[in-house]
Amino acid sequence: MEFLASGFLKAIELLIRGDASTWSAVSATLQASTWSMLISLVFGLPCGFALGYFDFRFKRQVRTLVDTLLALPTVCVGLLVYAFISSRGPLGEFELLFTLSGIAMGQTILAFPIVTAITASIIENIDEDLKLTLVSLGAGKRNIILTCLWEVRFGILAAAVTAYGRVLTEVGISMMVGGNIKYHTRTITTAIALETNKGMFADGIALGIVLMAIAFGVNISLSFLRKR
Amino acid sequence: MNAKKLMSGLMAALMVMFFTVTVQASAKKELMMATTTSTDNTGLLDYLVPHFEKETGITLKWTSTGTGKALKLGQNCDVDVLLVHAPPAEKNYIEKGFGKDRREVMYNDFVIIGPKSDPAGVKGKSISDALAAVKTKAALFMSRGDDSGTNKKEKLLWKNAGIALPDMEKWYVQTGQGMLATITVAQERNGYTMTDRGTYIKYQDQQGGNAPLTVLVEGDEILLNQYSVLTLDPKNCAKAKYDLAREFSNWMASESAQKKIAEFRLLGQKLFIPNAK
Amino acid sequence: MGKLLYELNRVCHLYGDKKVLDIDTLDIPAGSILGLSGPNGSGKSTLLKLLAFAMAPSQGKIIFNNRPEAPMSPRVRSRVTLLTQKPYLLKRSVFDNVIYGLKIRKDTKNLKQRVAQALAAVGLDFSEFYGRSWHELSGGEAQRVAMAARLILRPKALLLDEPVASVDTESASLIRRASLAARDSWGCTLIIVSHDLIWLNQCSDTRISMAKGRIFSTLEESILPPPYEKRQGGTIKDLGNNEYISLSPQTGSAAVISQKQIKISLSKEEKDGYDNQVTAQVIQMILEQKTGNILTTLSMDNFLINLSLTREQVSTQGLRPGKKVILMFRSQDIAWR
Repeated sequence: MEFLASGFLKAIELLIRGDASTWSAVSATLQASTWSMLISLVFGLPCGFALGYFDFRFKRQVRTLVDTLLALPTVCVGLLVYAFISSRGPLGEFELLFTLSGIAMGQTILAFPIVTAITASIIENIDEDLKLTLVSLGAGKRNIILTCLWEVRFGILAAAVTAYGRVLTEVGISMMVGGNIKYHTRTITTAIALETNKGMFADGIALGIVLMAIAFGVNISLSFLRKR
Repeated sequence: MNAKKLMSGLMAALMVMFFTVTVQASAKKELMMATTTSTDNTGLLDYLVPHFEKETGITLKWTSTGTGKALKLGQNCDVDVLLVHAPPAEKNYIEKGFGKDRREVMYNDFVIIGPKSDPAGVKGKSISDALAAVKTKAALFMSRGDDSGTNKKEKLLWKNAGIALPDMEKWYVQTGQGMLATITVAQERNGYTMTDRGTYIKYQDQQGGNAPLTVLVEGDEILLNQYSVLTLDPKNCAKAKYDLAREFSNWMASESAQKKIAEFRLLGQKLFIPNAK
Repeated sequence: MGKLLYELNRVCHLYGDKKVLDIDTLDIPAGSILGLSGPNGSGKSTLLKLLAFAMAPSQGKIIFNNRPEAPMSPRVRSRVTLLTQKPYLLKRSVFDNVIYGLKIRKDTKNLKQRVAQALAAVGLDFSEFYGRSWHELSGGEAQRVAMAARLILRPKALLLDEPVASVDTESASLIRRASLAARDSWGCTLIIVSHDLIWLNQCSDTRISMAKGRIFSTLEESILPPPYEKRQGGTIKDLGNNEYISLSPQTGSAAVISQKQIKISLSKEEKDGYDNQVTAQVIQMILEQKTGNILTTLSMDNFLINLSLTREQVSTQGLRPGKKVILMFRSQDIAWR
């Protein structure tokens, strides 16, 4: 039990002292998760919109598939990405293995279904009156899509926050694709895995608290975007 | 607005985004190594590598995994050089055409550790007798169970003692994890385990010098744990930086590096004994 | 009479397999006010959405300004606006809500002045309201802002779906006033769905009642809706209670009879040729302020008929809600649509 308390104290020490490996892990975590977050939004929003808005033949099956992808185990995604970017894989020449870009790629795959599924739900549940209003005011197809997305922006923010949480805390992809290389691809989560594996539980807790602090910071800044 | 055009535009943007982040200089000299968790967890590399980089100007990045995965990474040409401790597997590797040169650089030994109370009475026995005693008393024995170099050694010890691997026995606990984690489990449950001395000293260091598990069996010749640098065969991996890997291998065997390995201490004890020829 | 803004011919709409709207013919003159009433599920909302070009009918075409038009057509966008029953605003300030349609049209001159005008038309002070967010308004205020957002576009047709059902009385009155002002100001055609029959009667030029997806009554004609049966060599409509209506030979899908051809009597009598004498009950009587007549709704078994009666006739026959009367009409006067 004592490692919980000593872990808490250690966390404060790590943050204040400016421990290089900790801050490098923080930077790695932020880089990978932010990139993957942005890219999955760029792809997930239009896909989610299309899935929710239009009616097409296999709509229900596609929806079920997307929902199933929400349960992707991170290690499996890691293996999948490894297969592609390994030296022997089709994307081997880009040397993405053991890089933050590789991790970001895997995390994008993880976040994409979350953004898509939540956006599709939001769009499906849009008040019918919104569409009537927009048509009445003369909106064309493009304006309808853009305005609809803007109108549901709070819901989309929730989707982004959810996806970010998943991506920020995953270990399987970072470990498999990044290789946990100190100062390069060691993220907070892989560092936690390493320390706990070494039996250094207090350090594990400390890093965990650091991670929570990051998540808290991100959510605070996003909270200003919420409806007052 | 054409949906297809939008999609391809986004695809292109995605590719650009990913690759700009990666196009850092692959021009400077960089070497990628795969090693084992037991090696890395001792902290030896954190201590040695800065010297290597200073003396050669080569940046060394390493990832630590189980021996099996390290060998696999080499086979797939995802790394340039290996630092492992599984001599039979390494020799096999070379025969199969994946590895090129094998250079022994340092060793330590394996030991059996267990609770001070020693319920199975293994202290001082030879390794084969000790394992026989464990089996007879059905004493709790933790194994890494992960086919790592350490694990392969442990299986060899059982075989050598003429005992079938106690795979399904209730007292034989396979953790599937790294060495320190396995030692922690042994500590929790007051069991025995086989570990390399380097990791044991690190474990002692973590416990502030006062660990509940102590060395009970040591010294048999078969308990030798040999570490080697393994370069990859360019015929299998054209892209592997063979020259830089050779430089690393040479450096590890050099007088200065060997001296530093000998000087690496924890709790005043040597973790590795340099033995490059 | 002036030209027709809308012409509908054989327009039907289905949700899945269910036919929810079946309009034989409907003409709406430009600049007129059309009142639509009917119970829930009668197809009023569907009709309104089709007229607003929010969706296309399953069958048939809607002709707007002499051209068949479809949703998203440029000639229709922002020329036909619909005001929803529940006040609905975009999640932005009042000002941005009101100018939304103008921005799409790229019609952005003099915005401040025009917004002030539009808000004033619904009784909202510009400086007090223009900066408020959508969630800082009462239901009535929100509906008024929604109205202003449509009025500012000076649409050719304004469709109001129960515009005053969800708002306070002051807002209701302001919205009513603003719609009529629109008609007077630029000849806007108003199509109003409302349960408030008194208001509808007050301002409508034409009144339509709907039931089960069909128009069953205008002020001139009444529909005798199906089902019909063939019996004893002719076509009849069974009313239950051992009563039935004899119809003329079936040449269409719905039987109609002109108002003028229905006589009200207090008892069955022998009258030349009036082979149909069926009981009906007075359900409702409303004063038509324009004409001074009494709009009387009578119930025959399971459908309704509206007759516009003079005050004289009403007092002579002592008509009042609840009274049972006999409706007399000739089967040969029944036409088919």
